[in-house]
Amino acid sequence: MALYGIETEYGIHVEGKGAADLVAESRAVVNAYCGTFASPWFYRGEDPRNDQRGFHARRLKYDPDDAKFDDPSAPPLPVEEERADHVLVNGARLYNDHGHPEYSTPECATLADMVAHDKAGERIVLECARRREAEIGAAVKIYKNNTDFHGSSYGTHENYLMGRARPFGEVIGALVPFLVTRIIYTGAGKVGIEPRGKSGTYQLSQRADFFTEEASVDTLHRRPLVNTRDEPHADPHKWRRLHVIAGDANLSEYATALKIGTLLLVTELIDAGWFPTNIKLYDPVKSIKEISRDSAYEWCVPLSNNRRMKATDVQRVFLDQARIEFAGRGGDTDWVLGEWASTLDALDADPMQLSGKLDWVAKKSLIDDYVAADGEPWDDYRLQALDLAYCDIDPDEGLYAALVDAGEMVRIVDNAAIDKAMTVPPTNTRAAIRGALVSKFGGSVGNAGWSQVVLRTDAESWVADLDPFLTPALVAEGLDRMARADTLGELIERFRG
Amino acid sequence: MAVIDEERATRPAGPADPTRRDGDESGPSRPDVQRPDRSDLLKRMKKVDPDTARKYRQRSGE
Repeated sequence: MALYGIETEYGIHVEGKGAADLVAESRAVVNAYCGTFASPWFYRGEDPRNDQRGFHARRLKYDPDDAKFDDPSAPPLPVEEERADHVLVNGARLYNDHGHPEYSTPECATLADMVAHDKAGERIVLECARRREAEIGAAVKIYKNNTDFHGSSYGTHENYLMGRARPFGEVIGALVPFLVTRIIYTGAGKVGIEPRGKSGTYQLSQRADFFTEEASVDTLHRRPLVNTRDEPHADPHKWRRLHVIAGDANLSEYATALKIGTLLLVTELIDAGWFPTNIKLYDPVKSIKEISRDSAYEWCVPLSNNRRMKATDVQRVFLDQARIEFAGRGGDTDWVLGEWASTLDALDADPMQLSGKLDWVAKKSLIDDYVAADGEPWDDYRLQALDLAYCDIDPDEGLYAALVDAGEMVRIVDNAAIDKAMTVPPTNTRAAIRGALVSKFGGSVGNAGWSQVVLRTDAESWVADLDPFLTPALVAEGLDRMARADTLGELIERFRG
Repeated sequence: MAVIDEERATRPAGPADPTRRDGDESGPSRPDVQRPDRSDLLKRMKKVDPDTARKYRQRSGE
């Protein structure tokens, strides 16, 4: 079944603090969470150095610029204290990741759930920041973006459950042209060019400047278009987790739904054995930057066969095949196919007509109006402040939020659905089991992760294996057993029986 | 710049919002979007501290 989620590393600025303080400040924001949760995380189930191409990296690359923020004489904290993991009753994970509050949504199986839980993450992190503000009496700002305009980037990662049958080299070959060209509708928009945020250019993507490799296991430095990390968080003989780091943080609900929905269909095409022949990009790392910075919106990329192709037409290769395979099957699929097609047509005709749907267009439309009203030149550094303000998740100050208030942005879910997602997991994925265990037996949780929850009684430790809950029917059956158990001992007996 | 790949000619532009029934069960629904007066948005933009991005420093993320 389709299963996907989004991890968002939020930017954080605390009045009176610098980058060297951000690990502690991020941890403090996460620890300000006041709802029901369980901890610690099940770290032993993770190995980010394991490579899907069949080897194990000796170490991962780190950004040397980060070293200047660290005190080498300071003893490292235990990982549980450093990361401050919170496994929430909605099945999500909230923790401190290298100085960024990170919210990983629960596993979702519908786009409406995906958008609601992504937005719920914004509200949960904002609530934590406000409590931290009250504690310290200083402003704590949270930004949903991917760049600090000074050479640092942090990620918004997507995860898709895929089959394991196709060789990963073929998966990479199919994904690269798709990921490079999809920024024309997934980009969040950015004023300036890294590494030092040189202003004067408005680009489509926040992340495009930071990719230097086509594929690798690294995520922190020398970033790849396709991350090869092998952590399936499911039966490794049957499944792989496609861990996509080549994406922007979207505020737009429509862009989030289209971003997830299109790549989900592409993963299904790949799983079915399809491969996009004749669209191998000549230099994908260069092409993603050229597309991102092309102010004429022509978006032509060189192919390895000496031809050139528009990014919209590269996307149509995938769209056309998805229509052949999946059109008419209903649910989210037909919505994605229709919106994918109309978005590409609109991008070819006049991208600015998508200002109510796509982040990069919405942000540019705002800054265009500001420039027209105030006469600021496009290379004025102050425009980067507006870029940042668009991504401010505080509804009283953020510019994206102002667009929503003004009724200018297309919504996918309503506010009630987002509020509900803050405490209620998707009902049809294993997140529902995780969330229910945390909610009902949180005090007995020994540790929790994506694929298991360990519960402890006075007599024993019991591992609730979440991997078998692959279908809505199995999830419903598991929830029913939990509902009928008043105590943890009864629950364990019901699962054993 | 013209599309050089003749096998995949650029398609004619469709409407920005192709007609789709709202409220059916074929995916998220779509509200009508109208562009109102932006004077309030401009006021909010003018309140933004112009030095925000200059002061903003982050660690690299994973």
